[in-house]
Amino acid sequence: MIESVIELLVSLLGEDWRDGLEYITNGKHMAWYASLRFTLIAAFAGAAFAVFFGLMGAALKQSAIAPLRWVGSFYINIVRGVPDVLFFLFFPLAFEQFVEYLFAQTRCTAAELAANAGSWPPCEAAQWFLNSNDYLLLACVSFGIVYGAFAANVIHGAMQAVPLGQLEAAQAYGFTKKQVFWRFKVRQMWTYALPGLSNVWMLLLKATALLSLLQIADIVLWADRLGAPNYLARAGMVHPDWRWKYYLVLFIFYILMTMLSERIFDWLKRRANRGMLEMN
Amino acid sequence: MDWLIDWLGNNAIVQDIILLARPAGFNLYFALISIPIGFPFAVLLALGKNSKNRLISIFSKAYIYAFRGSPLFIQFFMFYSLMLSFNRSLWKPLGVDDFVLHPLFLGPLVLVLNTSAYAAEIFYGAMRTVPKGQIEAARAMGMSRWQEFWSVTWPNTIRLAWPSYTNEVVFLFHATTLVYFTLPVINEQKDLMNKAGELFEKDYNIFLHFSVAAMYFIAISMTIFFVFGLIQKRLSRHVRKDERQKIRFKPVNYIR
Amino acid sequence: MKKLLLTVALAAFATTGFAADKVRFGTEGAYAPWNFMDDSGKLAGFEIELGAELCRRAKLDCEFVVNEWDSIIPNLIAGNYDGIMAGMSVTDERMKTVMFSEEYYPADPSRYAAAKGDKFDFDNLKGVKIGAQGATVQAAYLEANLKEGNTIKLYEKPDQSVADLAAGNIDLLLADGSFLDPVVEGSEGNIVYTGPNIQIGGGVAVGLRQKDTELGEKLNAAIAEVKKDGTLDKMIKEFFKKGPFYAAE
Repeated sequence: MIESVIELLVSLLGEDWRDGLEYITNGKHMAWYASLRFTLIAAFAGAAFAVFFGLMGAALKQSAIAPLRWVGSFYINIVRGVPDVLFFLFFPLAFEQFVEYLFAQTRCTAAELAANAGSWPPCEAAQWFLNSNDYLLLACVSFGIVYGAFAANVIHGAMQAVPLGQLEAAQAYGFTKKQVFWRFKVRQMWTYALPGLSNVWMLLLKATALLSLLQIADIVLWADRLGAPNYLARAGMVHPDWRWKYYLVLFIFYILMTMLSERIFDWLKRRANRGMLEMN
Repeated sequence: MDWLIDWLGNNAIVQDIILLARPAGFNLYFALISIPIGFPFAVLLALGKNSKNRLISIFSKAYIYAFRGSPLFIQFFMFYSLMLSFNRSLWKPLGVDDFVLHPLFLGPLVLVLNTSAYAAEIFYGAMRTVPKGQIEAARAMGMSRWQEFWSVTWPNTIRLAWPSYTNEVVFLFHATTLVYFTLPVINEQKDLMNKAGELFEKDYNIFLHFSVAAMYFIAISMTIFFVFGLIQKRLSRHVRKDERQKIRFKPVNYIR
Repeated sequence: MKKLLLTVALAAFATTGFAADKVRFGTEGAYAPWNFMDDSGKLAGFEIELGAELCRRAKLDCEFVVNEWDSIIPNLIAGNYDGIMAGMSVTDERMKTVMFSEEYYPADPSRYAAAKGDKFDFDNLKGVKIGAQGATVQAAYLEANLKEGNTIKLYEKPDQSVADLAAGNIDLLLADGSFLDPVVEGSEGNIVYTGPNIQIGGGVAVGLRQKDTELGEKLNAAIAEVKKDGTLDKMIKEFFKKGPFYAAE
């Protein structure tokens, strides 16, 4: 299929383009394009987790029970002081250690545990081999936890922004407290949350560039591999350092993704604001 | 007292705090250099975006859009490889190649380019909300454009923008962790995250090392919030108490 | 309770392999001609082929995983894979944590590469920028001997060090001769050898965990076989254009 596309482009642009086109569609480049799936999955799944954790965080912050409020407040505010990169590196490693610790409790003999007292993992059977998809899932959850804190902040603010009159009217009509909360407050909150959530989405999108730090062979890692100078004909085309070209492509790619996201969110905002007199 | 010194010497947390002190210095260095240099650039860009001259305004808009719309991580890689590709043709003949390609120069350079885009957006937004009445009064009094800017627009802009700018500064400080993930390490210069990672690889105690690194970040972030809060009070001293803005945590625009 | 937590925690990771009967080798994937990613995006190279051959003879089911160089030994100890085949030379320092198999490539002298036309006084190197890949024997050598008066730059990946040399960011690059040979050849005269050869470290062998003696014995038997019947020499000739080293044994 790719060959027919190349033939078409060559017929339009001329034979000199053939080598270049064939180069950018060789196996290594196709692996680069394919690794885009990691970026997209991390963005969408991460966003889903972030909305989930955000709702949880906002609910905690509004809870009637004080300790829960403190937990919610801590969750929302911890990202004020600690960089997101630290969390991204921390969660997958901590989770892996947690699981290996549980393995060790159930699978290791006491003798092995004593023998390996200072080191990690505690014993042979406690090792957990993670494949790429596992790392991806861990990465999505990490993104979700970190950006969930930001989303919680936005959702909490949006919940406060729902006009009190609406809630009072609902109460006047005889809806129970629970119904007022879910049917009126939460339903209407989304309109006010949308601008903030669109910002959280942009942040998440840009954070997907960091997936290579989480042991995932993502677009940045492949760009590095492709651009690195190569002198051995057996290893591929001999070329000098082309990394800046590949990074420039990534730079433009992310800007385009940002543009696309903005358009989509603008459309969503217009839709969500139909019939609303007050707009944020 | 001996027991105290003993305890301090053997306590893992205290040892980590001492080990991570010098790396924290690198993060601080990057932040302290980038913020003062980024500030005037941001103001120029905001003015440019607001300008009536189409060329300047389009350039400013494009610059701000590009640097806000792409990850800082990619910006670092791109600039390093771009600078490297000019080494033989430009930097070496000029004799500055040692300087230009050094992380201590390149890190702040990219951070400045990045923060000026974010801060420019903040200042631009603030410029648009300067009370129109004050501007009209200035014009009515016959002030020149420059006088009007200096007496009316600028003070209002900085006051209105300050809470958002505080958030931006804190997130810039957080972003300094990315420098040594992307640029080569020279002569044992490591920042907080690199050093914490190195310590983790030795004994796999993730909670200890990362918590101490987090403590450094929290301490410095809180200091920034506090100091900038004091400046906010001074900037708003002429505004009625109930109309003053508080520095609220509004991170969503400022992380890169 | 712990079992319940365990089940819940792992419910999403259904596709994970647990401590498997597969033998996994960690490699860097960026060190031509030892191990690299070829144009089809797959791992290839001397060690990939040798590893497949050894596993065939030892009747093991093997696969290669890519791992960054600076965490390659810690991840071996942590169990992410069972052996390291990444051009790793035997050194006393490494033998403290890692067990090595029989060597499959003789001790390779490290060499200095420089840009064409640069001259250095190797008895008295001062004010020079020397690069090497981090966590290698060359890096240790530079830190121990040439730190005074020179700038040592360490890189995460070997191709970054070559790129910096080609761009003139470093004056000298110290690396394995077997890695630099294709670079010098392919650079069309822009990168040349200079200075003395330095023998750092021993031959190249498979790195294993110290308690994996059984795996070590199987691999050693296979390595002895490929040395004896000349297969290893043939591979070395193919990838490095050197040898034969082992046929006489």
